[in-house]
Amino acid sequence: MTTMKQITTRATAVAALAALAAMPAFGVSGAMAQETVTLGIVTAQTGPLAAPGRFQMNGFDLAVQAINEAGGFEVDGETYMLDLQVYDTRCNAAEGASAMQRLATVDQVPVVLGELCSPVAAAEAPIAADFGVPLVLTVPTAPNLTEQGNEWLFRVNPNNFQLNEALAAFVAENGWSPLSFIAWNNDAGRGGVNGMRELLPDDVEFGYVGYFNVGEVDFSSHIANIRNEGSEAIMLLMDEEPGALAIRQIRDAGLDAQLVGTLAMGSSRFLDRLNAEYLDGMAQYNAFPPNAPIPRIEEFSALYEAAYGEESHGFAAQSYDGIFVVIAAMQAAGTVSDSAAIRDALAEISWDGVIGPIMFNENNQAEPPVYITQWCDDGTRRILFPDDLAADCGFG
Amino acid sequence: MAQALLEQIINGTMMGSIYMLVALGMVLIYGVMHVLNFAHGVLFMVGGYVCHFFFTQVLDSYLLAILGSMAVLSVIGLALERGVFRRLRDNLRMQVIASLGLILVIQNGVIAIWGPNALQMRITTTDIRVPIGELSFTLQHFLIIGTVGVTVTAIWLFLTRTRIGTALRATSQNAEAAQVVGIDANRMYVASFLIGCALAALGGALLGPLFLIFPTMGDLPLLKGLAAIIIGGMGSIPGAIIGGLGIGIVEAVSTLYIPTDFRDTVVFAALIAVLLLRPQGLFGVRVRGEA
Repeated sequence: MTTMKQITTRATAVAALAALAAMPAFGVSGAMAQETVTLGIVTAQTGPLAAPGRFQMNGFDLAVQAINEAGGFEVDGETYMLDLQVYDTRCNAAEGASAMQRLATVDQVPVVLGELCSPVAAAEAPIAADFGVPLVLTVPTAPNLTEQGNEWLFRVNPNNFQLNEALAAFVAENGWSPLSFIAWNNDAGRGGVNGMRELLPDDVEFGYVGYFNVGEVDFSSHIANIRNEGSEAIMLLMDEEPGALAIRQIRDAGLDAQLVGTLAMGSSRFLDRLNAEYLDGMAQYNAFPPNAPIPRIEEFSALYEAAYGEESHGFAAQSYDGIFVVIAAMQAAGTVSDSAAIRDALAEISWDGVIGPIMFNENNQAEPPVYITQWCDDGTRRILFPDDLAADCGFG
Repeated sequence: MAQALLEQIINGTMMGSIYMLVALGMVLIYGVMHVLNFAHGVLFMVGGYVCHFFFTQVLDSYLLAILGSMAVLSVIGLALERGVFRRLRDNLRMQVIASLGLILVIQNGVIAIWGPNALQMRITTTDIRVPIGELSFTLQHFLIIGTVGVTVTAIWLFLTRTRIGTALRATSQNAEAAQVVGIDANRMYVASFLIGCALAALGGALLGPLFLIFPTMGDLPLLKGLAAIIIGGMGSIPGAIIGGLGIGIVEAVSTLYIPTDFRDTVVFAALIAVLLLRPQGLFGVRVRGEA
């Protein structure tokens, strides 16, 4: 089942401020918008990954709101308002492929953004190429997505290899060996484990490696094996919900190994699922530390918190940037409908986003900064890596 | 290794206890009504949600929330027996299709009411850690094992020492002969559905605090419960008990020797082996005319 959603305007004072801030960038001089450009969105809004899908959708919504509150965006002398055609793919490859085809043929959108899940993005990417519609990913992390030679596929967010590269260096530096894994039994989980195998130096020994399927909630077998291996650290390659369950079961089982997590485990919502005692000392890679003392992040976090009443999230920031990158490409290409010209402009784009500078490499993969954050004993986070952006507890 | 074995035996006994409850409920309904109720897993899930609702919104007492959940599921069971299964009594095929349809209706109904995201139910009194040497378990683990032990014993005594229990067993063995001696079969059908649904609710309410409460939380227990009653012997109560517990322990211990993602393979390989070597199951009785 697919659901369509028309984006409605949420008039807030903060959004108006954001709109004002966005105006110079988009060259709008107060003229009334005449036409609406509709972008396609594919994301999970229901199903087991509905919660992270909501963060992604919030980022898209916030960008649309900011652009429209500013009076729209200007391309080749014409001013346009922005709208989204959203399909709920439920993290299901068949539904993702169907939605992508519908956006290209029925809705005839010039660009599609989104997808939450790597396997679904893999099903959508060939369809984007077949119909000549750029697909801009903002969340999936499987590295091979942008290694298929598909010139219609772009990725704003860092992939697993980029994320793991920073983490592997950090694990090696701390000498956490043997290192065990509990990972999703899918591309993201297995790809993450394989990526770490390639990146970690030989002196970091691999302990137990266990995979679990989406929906599984009992990690006791993994924990018994990890204890049996005498692992010094455990890396959890999974999302927020199973991550919280796994950590709770690990600590309840009396295992005090160092925990290493993903970007899904570095948010205040994650803390709400557990408590500071469970998380103290856990380190995780992160593409967007929401409390970092960096102006672009501070501005976005304030905007997000005002709009949604919760701490901002990396998926939202990446998706927010995705919309702005596409609009910038339309402006550079001088068209809102010629998908091929927009694709060519995307390949050359340079955008200073919320997550950092966004420029696509030869595989159409952006290379924004990656961070390592760590939970403090008071339930806040600090930034440990990169060194020049390190920040103390409360700023991670 | 001995420590890991002990850890997995305790974990396996806990999960096996849950499979046992599911299998026992299914086998009671199957034994009396000859209906294989595939909706038993979603009733297990509804039990978790109703317990969560009572605990967080109404009663603030885990014990009362469990009892409330069992009472609500008994009423749901009554409605299902009267509204669906009684009307389809003479058509086994339609009963199976109806129970499959109920899965979709109930699962989507729960999503409509509570949403798709998992719910947490933290019970501070049972959340405390119980150390055993270097190992540690939550009190909830032992609460599950103990409660299921008491429940299974009570069900056994009910079936063997009371008039209604005896009538249930008589209906299970031969419904027509039971009616000849004055047993009201309709009442027995209702009783088996009530007890079966209450046991499903108990399972969901016990497992919810340990893991999470979510729309598909009953899928795995249903599958394992079904495997338990096939291994134990269709219609056999001792078979359901031994089958459920055995599956829990075997799948937990097997993960010490084979990759964890293969543990279901072990269970279903055992199921196939039993079907090949002893088609009637470990405790089942071979009926003349059946394969």
